[in-house]
Amino acid sequence: MTVSETDYQPEPKQGDSILEIRNASVTFDMDRGESRVLDDVDLDIERNEILGVVGESGSGKSMLASALLDAIVDPGVLYGDITYHPPDGSPIDILDLDKQGLKELRWEEISMVFQGAMSSFNPVRKIRTHFVETLDAHDYDIDEGIERTEGILEDLYLDPDRVLDSYPHELSGGMKQRALIALSLVLEPEVLVMDEPTAALDLLMQRSIISLIQEIKEEYDLTIVFITHDLPLVADIADRIGVLYAFEFVELGPTGEILENAAHPYTRLLLKSTPNLEAPIETMQPVEGSAPDPVNVPSGCSFHRRCPLATQECRDVDPGPYDAGGSHVSHCHHWESAREEIPMSYDLKEIDTGSESAKIGKGDTASRTASAEPVVSLDDVEVHFEKEKGFLDMFDEPDVVEAVDGVSMDIYERDVVVLVGESGCGKTTLGKTAVGLQEPTGGSVNYRGHDIWDVKAGDGDGSISWDEIRRSLQIVHQDPGSALNPHRRVKASLEAPLKRWNDDLDGNDRKQRILSLLEHVGMSPPEDYIDRYPHQLSGGEQQRVALIRAMLMNPDVIMADEPVSALDVSLRVEMMDLMIQLQDTFNTSYLFVSHDLSNARYIAEKTGGRIGVVYLGRLVEIGPPDEIIHNPQHPYTKALCWATPELGADNDDDESPIREIDIPDPTNPPSGCRYHTRCAKAREVCRQQDPGAFDIPDDDLHEAACFRVLDDHEYWDSESITEEDELVAQGDD
Amino acid sequence: MTRHSETPTDDDERMDFEDAIVSDSEASADERIETDGGVGTPFEVVSEYEETRRDRYRKLYDAYVHAPISIIWRDWRARIGFTIVAIYLLMGTVGPLFVEPTSVTEGPALAAPFETMEYPLGTDNQGRDLLSQTVHSTSTILKMVLSGAVFTVGIGTIIGSIAGYKGGMTDTVLSSITDVFINIPGFPLVMVLGLMFDDQILGNPFAIGVLLSIASWGGLARAIRSQMLTLREESFVEASQAMGIGTSTIVFKEIVPHLMPFVVINLTNAGRKVIFEAVALYYLGILPFQDLNWGSILNQAYGANAHARPDAIHWFLVPMFAIVFISVGLTLLGQSLDRVFNPRVRARHEKTTADVEGDGDGETQTQDAMGV
Amino acid sequence: MILNKYASTMVTIDWRIRRLGQAVFTVWAVITLSFALVRMLPGNMMGAMITRLARQGINPARARELVEYRMTIDPDAPLLPAYLSYVSETLQGNLGQSVFYSRPVVDVLAEALPWTLFVLSWAVFISFFIGISIGALMAYWEGGKLDIGLTSYAVLMGSIPFYVLAILLLIFLSYRLGWFPTGGRQPIATDPGFNLTYISGIVTHAALPVLSMLVASGVASLGMRGNSIRVLGEDYLRVARLRGLSDITISTQYVARNAVLPMYTTLLISIGEMFGGSIVLEQVFQYRGVGWYMLSATHQRDYPLMMGGFMVITVAMVIALLLADLTYGYVDPRARRSQ
Repeated sequence: MTVSETDYQPEPKQGDSILEIRNASVTFDMDRGESRVLDDVDLDIERNEILGVVGESGSGKSMLASALLDAIVDPGVLYGDITYHPPDGSPIDILDLDKQGLKELRWEEISMVFQGAMSSFNPVRKIRTHFVETLDAHDYDIDEGIERTEGILEDLYLDPDRVLDSYPHELSGGMKQRALIALSLVLEPEVLVMDEPTAALDLLMQRSIISLIQEIKEEYDLTIVFITHDLPLVADIADRIGVLYAFEFVELGPTGEILENAAHPYTRLLLKSTPNLEAPIETMQPVEGSAPDPVNVPSGCSFHRRCPLATQECRDVDPGPYDAGGSHVSHCHHWESAREEIPMSYDLKEIDTGSESAKIGKGDTASRTASAEPVVSLDDVEVHFEKEKGFLDMFDEPDVVEAVDGVSMDIYERDVVVLVGESGCGKTTLGKTAVGLQEPTGGSVNYRGHDIWDVKAGDGDGSISWDEIRRSLQIVHQDPGSALNPHRRVKASLEAPLKRWNDDLDGNDRKQRILSLLEHVGMSPPEDYIDRYPHQLSGGEQQRVALIRAMLMNPDVIMADEPVSALDVSLRVEMMDLMIQLQDTFNTSYLFVSHDLSNARYIAEKTGGRIGVVYLGRLVEIGPPDEIIHNPQHPYTKALCWATPELGADNDDDESPIREIDIPDPTNPPSGCRYHTRCAKAREVCRQQDPGAFDIPDDDLHEAACFRVLDDHEYWDSESITEEDELVAQGDD
Repeated sequence: MTRHSETPTDDDERMDFEDAIVSDSEASADERIETDGGVGTPFEVVSEYEETRRDRYRKLYDAYVHAPISIIWRDWRARIGFTIVAIYLLMGTVGPLFVEPTSVTEGPALAAPFETMEYPLGTDNQGRDLLSQTVHSTSTILKMVLSGAVFTVGIGTIIGSIAGYKGGMTDTVLSSITDVFINIPGFPLVMVLGLMFDDQILGNPFAIGVLLSIASWGGLARAIRSQMLTLREESFVEASQAMGIGTSTIVFKEIVPHLMPFVVINLTNAGRKVIFEAVALYYLGILPFQDLNWGSILNQAYGANAHARPDAIHWFLVPMFAIVFISVGLTLLGQSLDRVFNPRVRARHEKTTADVEGDGDGETQTQDAMGV
Repeated sequence: MILNKYASTMVTIDWRIRRLGQAVFTVWAVITLSFALVRMLPGNMMGAMITRLARQGINPARARELVEYRMTIDPDAPLLPAYLSYVSETLQGNLGQSVFYSRPVVDVLAEALPWTLFVLSWAVFISFFIGISIGALMAYWEGGKLDIGLTSYAVLMGSIPFYVLAILLLIFLSYRLGWFPTGGRQPIATDPGFNLTYISGIVTHAALPVLSMLVASGVASLGMRGNSIRVLGEDYLRVARLRGLSDITISTQYVARNAVLPMYTTLLISIGEMFGGSIVLEQVFQYRGVGWYMLSATHQRDYPLMMGGFMVITVAMVIALLLADLTYGYVDPRARRSQ
């Protein structure tokens, strides 16, 4: 980056920078050589802006966060200059501060919210103690500080007394995350660095916290650095966005510029690979290849190995910052041609239809006519868990979690259903019930007309065996790391089903088949992979192995539980395309489970499937993706659409459609419609009556469980109940 | 963020490289099959070759003999522990062939160690050779250790696994029983039982070993149960269930490998405990004995007031050293054996050719392996 | 999954009552076991006692009465009534009559119990204090010379049976150097009471038994070392440092507290081993506690006293573990909801 071919100077505009970072590098000494996890970064953070920093895992974004507080963990070493400009007083060189100086800087001036709120609190101390000891350590007035804390907590829609007097484990993830934000604000800092503050949270909670961050920024006069892997998420609130790749910024500019006029091939490809609700799915394509190893970053432009525009110049010369106009900077020699050669979704005419993933296109719609027999059909299924009881609890009233309650659903041949909902809503349990891995406590699960649990118990009519059913219904798990036994090699894991079902094969046959399968899913040369342990595979490769293992059974239905959520954003589309392609090859049906509406839409639209929305154990709406996203009938579906981050910069509709941020306790679900406690449209009748599934007039595949679908329901005459709740989020409708 | 999460590709990259070197190019050329060639889908491919018996044996040898030994030999604790235990095994098996049994008034009373080469470790107050006594009691002790350790670990693992895997009422009942055994002190119970069954166990070291371990499996059972509860929920177990693989296969192939580090450490701990308790019971004169052993030597020394006599101190020290030395050996061995079951370590050792790194195994593993 | 996630937020029966119930169940199980040993199993003690009395020339009917009086079990009654009356007698504190001392077993043991508890509680306290301190030091200087040295010490300590250390201490510190008394539990020539000589006498008599139990510090220190190293890598520790908390707060409230809590399992195991070990320990030092009486009763075939000793040691341990569990619930907020 020392090469400067342009006259662009990273000089700040006088007076409005709060943090200036110059030539910041972080290195680790590793056995294999020096590892550079932040490479010569220059950055100015302007006062009172929200700067979004986007990067995939291993791009160095957490290092950047730590560097701002001079808090790189040993044995990492930070070089360069970081200057902090307080609102009054002279600039402070952060890397020159002594222990006392750092103590006065951290938390008082620059504060930080870590990624893992779950583990950021001392588990044996109350939340209040954390605030008190922080105030105490910095000689702040404690009473005043606690009073301020209570104000902040209320601003974050938390009940101050309850939260402060709880132990960390007594709070839900979302509450803990908000308490952590409050903790970071308790000393009234100027700058707040947030490292993936919402990564572990649900969609609605994530969106709510994003809105809160904006409010808090105004109210407490903050400068916020928001670090995330999720571009659409930050697009909503950031004033400027910086994109990190391989430990350095490749592009930095105003949010609108980055989204609509990105000038670096990586940013443009990343944008294209990010599933969202609006862009046509044909334009979504994976970024080929993977990010470089920190020990061995390519010379020249670090992206040249994956870049479609790479030339010899890219391989040799590290691209300096090029001014792409409008305080927009790109580190690409070909930034101008990048804008032309890599078309974005809004340049529809130029779609490259030649690539393989685009060819798959919209799949054939499954035969879902009335005459078609479903492969798997759920009939009024309920799964209630009782809390496990000890010897002495026998006379206790059992606590019951109604994980699934009264769900009916059919899955046809070559069908795809995507279940969407918040964590804990029962979507995974519902999925497992559908593939016979969870026995329902009520209702029935049928495979081609046979109740599978009757067949297992031996009560079937004998025309189908449990083995046959078991073989036909398979599962692919969420976490590829735990889906494969860490003690078994790829070969052993894949051999297990073959040994069980194909005893005509000998060792060489099995090996041969496994090799060809690995090759088929793009793991080549397969001989390299077959003897590896799971920890020697990347997340995407682990997921592929798990996928083939399920496919080896030649199943009729595969339940895929969040199959891409553990993968990096740029790899998700690739994995989903692979799954869709395998469906073509094997004529299977999929039951996907996802918390992400964008991914759900990508899969469902590409395969002509349906999306089902699950809330607290109930299926509240199901229909084709287009209908669900553009014509949602249930208020909860609308809330999910609202909460799904959009790439479009015009997303100003910040009116929250939910009344309560936190999800109710599933051991004691609300009466009537379970959503009425959070629904902005709830009326008295919703509290009393339980809505059944109603067909939406225009589309026979679209159903929703809400009275509002019916024009002549008594709902319309019922009293609204939305006024009475105390915690009303941003004005009700 | 830790350093690891920022640099996750550590091993993968290296593996790529090594595998590229070692992969047998000849074989891969033969084996690679065009996916859209003659065979319909890659799911129907079969091999053109029969697997030979030699191939299979070579793989078995690599996985079960070569890799474990190569792993153990990398670790100094394992080397020392293994050597010590091997010395005792030799002492217990071939030792009696080389060292004559001793008898009363064979030598001078209370000869000090190294006084004469005939009685290198000295003699007791009746002139019996202490070296001979020590060597001749080894095999009895080892038999007790073997049966006791196997019993403890066997019962603990079985009860714990069943309770954890089955859950429900089975779990409630088994856990309550386990809790009782955890809550009662083992030694007094063993003492009472030893007294009651002294006729049955006289001269049967295996029975004594079992008796000594009758109350010591509770802790292991509880630990295995909680492991089982976690493992039962693991995705790979569910995936195997979904594939219709039988429960016993799932338990032995998928779950047991995860329990092995536990089992190994407890095996050596249980062995130590058996030695301690057996010696204590002989020392107290509770257990009947026909031939002298480490515990009864202590008993006689104490009975003869050797602790008050400066010239008799070796009478205590010789058996004590025998006890402590094997105990150190077992401790070290237990601490290092768990590495054999760690796939990350295994991966580096199973392929003979991949064994090129200098260190890398040196990650600190000094866990709380000893008693917990 | 769902179940586990929410099970934790639900409290059915108060965990304290559950834990108490478990203790009661254990005591019941021990009483039943004891009954089985005395009356039911082949070669049972009752039969042996009757045979022995008969050999001494006491007529069979009288012998049976005597045995019933001493063991509180009627040898002639059917099993169930005999069992029920044994349970009820035991629960009322009647553990029978000692043959050797011709006194109620309870009287003999009640006098001895405080001495045993005195030694054991100091042993537990001191060995854990030392073990935890050493473990913390090892973790602080992880990988350094001190760490390696102390680790070797800990492995060696863990490999020595406490009675071996006891005999060595007895030989060298008492017999050779004469620093400590060679046996007994109190000075012979002084008046019991609150005078300095008596109290210091008690302390010197208990010192070696307590020191012998220091072998438990080896296991404890290795456990503490591992826990501390783990806690040092936790996120909350990093946040606490960034928040500018003082080193003292961090090392005590953050590192030490979170590292000590998991030591609790080790503590339970040690308490169990120490209670059982008190028999050997008290024999080595001729310290007249419950264990000493139980052992001498065993040698004298004084079955009522032996079984009484067994019962008292067991119940004392059950209560000790119960107290440890209940205290733990107060120290670690997370423990209150499960188990």
